[in-house]
Amino acid sequence: MNALLAFRGLFARQAKGLLIALLLSLVALASGVALLGTSGWFITATALTSAGLAFNLFVPSAMVRGFSFVRILARYGERLSGHDATLRLLADIRGWLFGRLFPRLPLNDRHMRHGDLVSRLTADVDALDTAFLVAIGPITAAVVIGTVLTSVLAFLLPAAAVVYGLSFGMAVLLVPAGLVLTSRKAGSAIVMRAAAARAAVLDGIEGHADLTLFGALGDTQARFSETATALSEARGRLATLSGFAAFGVQALAAIALAGSLWLGLEAFAAEQIDGPVLVGLLLAILGSFEASSVIVRSVTKLTTAMAAAERLTAIADAPIKIVDPANPIGLPDNLVITLDKVRFAYDGGAPVLNDLELSVAPGEHVAIVGPSGIGKSSLLSLLLRLAEPQSGSITLGGVDLSALALRDLQTSLALLSQDSPLFNDTISANLLIARPDASEDALWGALDAAGIGDFVRALPKRLDTLVGEAGRTVSAGQGRRLCLARTLLSPAPILLLDEPTTGLDRTAEVAFFDTLRKAATGRTVILVTHAGIPEGTVDRVLTMRGGQLT
Amino acid sequence: MPKTSTSPAAPIPPQGQPTVTSSDRQNAKTLSGLRRFGGPWLWLAIAAPLLGGVLLVVQAWTLAGIVGGVVENGAVIAAMTPGIVLIFGLLLTRAALAAIGDRAGTAASEAIKTNLRQALFAQLLSRSPRAADQPHSGAASSAMIDQVEALDGFFARYVPAMVQASLLPLAFGAIILPLDWLAGLLFLVTAPLIPVFMALVGWGAQYATDRQARALSLLNGRFADRLRGLTTLKLFGRAEAETAGIVAASDELRHRTLRVLRIAFLSSAVLEFFAALGVAGIALYVGLTFIDFLHLRSTPLTLELGLFLLLMAPEVYNPLRLLAAHYHDRASAKSAIGEIQAQLGALPAEIVPLGHAEPSASPDAMALRLDKLTLRTPDNARVILHETGLNIKAGEHVAIVGQSGIGKSSLLEAIARLRPHGGAITLGDQPLEDWDEAELRHSVAMLGQKPRIFAGSMADNIAMARPDATPAQIRSAAERAQAAGFADALPEGLDTLLGEGGLGLSGGQTQRIALARIFLRDPGLILLDEPTAHLDAELEQAVLDALLDFAHGRTLIIATHSQAVAKRMHHAYRIAGAELLATPVSAASVRSVA
Repeated sequence: MNALLAFRGLFARQAKGLLIALLLSLVALASGVALLGTSGWFITATALTSAGLAFNLFVPSAMVRGFSFVRILARYGERLSGHDATLRLLADIRGWLFGRLFPRLPLNDRHMRHGDLVSRLTADVDALDTAFLVAIGPITAAVVIGTVLTSVLAFLLPAAAVVYGLSFGMAVLLVPAGLVLTSRKAGSAIVMRAAAARAAVLDGIEGHADLTLFGALGDTQARFSETATALSEARGRLATLSGFAAFGVQALAAIALAGSLWLGLEAFAAEQIDGPVLVGLLLAILGSFEASSVIVRSVTKLTTAMAAAERLTAIADAPIKIVDPANPIGLPDNLVITLDKVRFAYDGGAPVLNDLELSVAPGEHVAIVGPSGIGKSSLLSLLLRLAEPQSGSITLGGVDLSALALRDLQTSLALLSQDSPLFNDTISANLLIARPDASEDALWGALDAAGIGDFVRALPKRLDTLVGEAGRTVSAGQGRRLCLARTLLSPAPILLLDEPTTGLDRTAEVAFFDTLRKAATGRTVILVTHAGIPEGTVDRVLTMRGGQLT
Repeated sequence: MPKTSTSPAAPIPPQGQPTVTSSDRQNAKTLSGLRRFGGPWLWLAIAAPLLGGVLLVVQAWTLAGIVGGVVENGAVIAAMTPGIVLIFGLLLTRAALAAIGDRAGTAASEAIKTNLRQALFAQLLSRSPRAADQPHSGAASSAMIDQVEALDGFFARYVPAMVQASLLPLAFGAIILPLDWLAGLLFLVTAPLIPVFMALVGWGAQYATDRQARALSLLNGRFADRLRGLTTLKLFGRAEAETAGIVAASDELRHRTLRVLRIAFLSSAVLEFFAALGVAGIALYVGLTFIDFLHLRSTPLTLELGLFLLLMAPEVYNPLRLLAAHYHDRASAKSAIGEIQAQLGALPAEIVPLGHAEPSASPDAMALRLDKLTLRTPDNARVILHETGLNIKAGEHVAIVGQSGIGKSSLLEAIARLRPHGGAITLGDQPLEDWDEAELRHSVAMLGQKPRIFAGSMADNIAMARPDATPAQIRSAAERAQAAGFADALPEGLDTLLGEGGLGLSGGQTQRIALARIFLRDPGLILLDEPTAHLDAELEQAVLDALLDFAHGRTLIIATHSQAVAKRMHHAYRIAGAELLATPVSAASVRSVA
């Protein structure tokens, strides 16, 4: 709940829209209750009247029609204004999240890599976004409707007011509170078991060859069944709890109705209330259950929203590891890169880089080779200040990286990472990320240098072609080359390329190294690869071994 | 239009809309086919609310009777006690039926989801691990966990709601018809008309939706898309621009969505209109009949009957509103089914049982013969080996060298029957194809280049090679693979948790743990792919000592870049020009670069 409250600022910005939606939903609920109440009163009054045609028809029939139309319009308005406010809130939350995430990058990238974090963040933002629409709004509306009807009863049928007020209050306040408390454990069990099931799938696919080789597929299948069943059981437990809660709400409604009926009839016999009013009130009570019937669903959504809020704040409030220096030193002219006795290990892990030494002169092309997982990519991360070494120094033009403004560092270095993404946008928009003011000629130059110019020229919409989500409309090799073109387009004097030839066949690979030598003349290039590098395409080849370069 | 799907009462899209694509219809069919896994739970989920509907009629009749009796005819309240108790009982029973129906719906949907997950998992693992169409692990896990989860609402809520909506309004109308023909007719005619009216309104919405769909999905995807590439954007200095961009795009999305919603919500307004009209119409009709303004009935109307009609009026339209509230469950389930099939292929009909090979007694060292062996890349684009031959005697130790990407790993995988090949591979005295799977796995042990560390402890990871291994055997295997050293440096030693959510290992550590697995087996042929690639010279020698000791009396084939490794083998072969050529061990072309 506290985590949810942390978002009150964002909610407050849409307070007006959300309040209008809430008011309209109250009007809709109230006119529904009033419609039933008036109708009950009306038919009883006509049944009991002896006035015949002289009965004053006008007021009640106008009320019945009026409430009907108010209800229809209010519902429509509520939906529209609620969605409008929610969508505005969505824009705010997304902007807020981006603003919080950027300084904290890279996040724990083990999770980022599997797309797990992305789908979780998207789902969490959606859950938080709709919290008002499906949870807070309906609960508030039910409380208000219950209070109003209790007050009316207190005036017209005091005995029933107590029974109705107590039962309705328990149904919309106590039962939800109980459900929130009891479902906590089941909720976190679901999250944990879903993660276990996901890990089991990943293990099964990534370890497919190992499992086949050791004849362990049957065991793996049995274990996955267990995991999937455990997940299903956790969901079942939560469903049982909400089932009990839903029954509780309905049982309390039953007490409210049966109690009011009994007490109402007694009051009628004692001539404390007249027939039409009694019937009207009973129907109004029935109508008010429309508000309480959605309570359990709302509570479930509220619990989801609270969990989402907790996860989002955990990420958004994480300490910023890489801080911009307060008084940065200006960018030096001679951008020589020097690493001295650099030691680096991921949190708690074995050292990846161990007293590493490296010096790269401006304009030099250096290749770093070695088997995958040996620490080549970590070295590039350190140069970009995506991580910091445990000891040793990394300098650019003689200035320690931590003394340079991050912005200066980012304009000096451009990275093609192993998992560089293509964005769901046009080819030109994807390229312009590297240099927003680039001319069209510059775009074609970069595409040609990356060896994909002819492919793009052959597309019907050329630079305006959309590349789908995660580059789905182009092949892996083409996507890789588009990313390379983007990196080449960047004005940065230093290019860091991490396995740039992944997805290329050997002929294209050889051609690429040749192109790179020409395309990046005058710029510093640090190239990480485990492909064979043709003679004469780079100035130096270093091998990484045991956390050092030789 | 994911935003509308969160509406408590999303509009019912029209039936038989002109824009329904065949794949959409196919998805709906596939979805219905999954119902069979729901079993009796699904029937209970459908039956319980129907029974509740019948009891509702009794409850309304009893309530109308009591109130009518007391208010109109002055009946004694004491005589009404059984009726009030009955109403209370009916209310409780209906509450219980509703809860049972919901719970059964969840049970049915859980049974369906679990079944589907297991079937998908088995289908995936029953294919060749090196198939060209093997899905990306992230996409596959998302399909199996998240997309399967998205089917939940369809079975748990939509299916029962659909049955209720198609039966209850008509049943209520039919019950009321003999009591009052006009009210009965009103219900019988308006209830089925509602979907027609909504279809008319929905067509408008559909048109607007189609027009916006492409732009909407692009804008909606943008958030997840940018989130995925956040680090890249940051490194290009685009943090502020992208933050502003996502807000602007979301705002744009809002404008477009609202334009669609304005029309789409009309169909739920139609539903509200009929529900309100039903109540108001019945109230006016009953009231006007009482004061003799209308004379449409042959018998006089009692307050009891009038109240009954009024109580039933909202209930006739309620099942339809329930269906509208769950309609989006159908749409999300259909798109989820489409996504699952796009990622993992057609849905399997059943759970295929996967084979299991218990480690068994020691086979002798095995000879290996390759005849006119041809290997291609999985996408068939490139020939790796062309009609090449090789003879390795039982107990021989052989190195395969050659530059990176030349096909050393593919060759080892073909020998281990992980990928298809042309020509003949003979293992021992029978062709590779004729080997029984379990026997082959006992006889051949292989360490791949990218071994997987599974979620579990370090000891579990080693013991996957022999599930019945004792802690002492595991320890000894870890020591021989030089893995015990770094394990002991960790606070929990071999019990340290690894894999997803556990400790990350360096490439060298991963390889040594995977190597330890081999020491727990008792194979006649050992295939190792770059076993020492991540190790420094000293560790490399220690690992080699242990390996050669283990490989004594077994056939051993190592793919390697390392001269130090190649030197200690009996023979070495080089892959060049799609052929295997014998090469002197000392001069094995081991490029420092490759």
